[in-house]
Amino acid sequence: MDQRGVAMSDDFSLFERHLDALYRSALRLTRKPEDAEDLVQETYLRAYRYRNRFKPGTNEKAWLFTIMTNVFRNRLRQRPAPEDPIDQPGADFSIYEQMRREGMPVHLMSPEEIIVDRGFGGEVKRALEELPVPMRMVVVLVDVEDFSYKEVASILGIKIGTVMSRLHRGRQALQKKLWEYSGRPKAPSLAVGAG
Amino acid sequence: MGDHCEQTMRRLSTYIDRELSESEVKKVKAHLDDCPPCEEVFDFQAEMKRLVRKECCTDDAPSRLRAWVRQLATEKPKPAR
Repeated sequence: MDQRGVAMSDDFSLFERHLDALYRSALRLTRKPEDAEDLVQETYLRAYRYRNRFKPGTNEKAWLFTIMTNVFRNRLRQRPAPEDPIDQPGADFSIYEQMRREGMPVHLMSPEEIIVDRGFGGEVKRALEELPVPMRMVVVLVDVEDFSYKEVASILGIKIGTVMSRLHRGRQALQKKLWEYSGRPKAPSLAVGAG
Repeated sequence: MGDHCEQTMRRLSTYIDRELSESEVKKVKAHLDDCPPCEEVFDFQAEMKRLVRKECCTDDAPSRLRAWVRQLATEKPKPAR
């Protein structure tokens, strides 16, 4: 193997270490293990094909996620998934506020007690997977993969302000879903309006 | 809710996401230390973020996929299925 080949295979092990991150995010995006696996394979094949375009020393995780979210969005365009129910932006919703409004002594409870003991914690994945794709991608990239707003803006090719508003709406929609899954009455419908 | 509370609540997400400047972080921290109701909201939202991460980090890539990626690193792969 020549020098270049060695370097190449070293580079690729750099990419390999993000496999679990790519796979779990692919699962959230596609919702199906076989589709997730397929998406990750396509991502690595492209990374391999375009490996010379990767600038050593830059963020390889962000590079891989840029490829993956692009492949995913292209696939969505080709065979659109059933329409996601879209939560209209509007009045703020948080489980904490809602419980406080209903007279629960939230100030005497730890966050774990509120979330876990009251049954809000079990179905995070399902709630996340039901978010509309644009919000879901941002919540996954920020909350699960720990990318900065700036990195997410670059990965998805959107403005930082858009990252922040999708994140805000996505987190609220997520809490609304967890609220509903826990068997509580449907959260008050969020008023349509600016937000 | 005072002005400080409102300002803090507006910055809460960016604070939790570590996206604030150092001077803004100081302001938010100082208010949270001072204001138990705001601190409780912070604790709750920070815990929600941790929960999302924790719940979603349980899915590891299947070993077959890992082997395929490893093969890619060492030799030209067969086309993906």
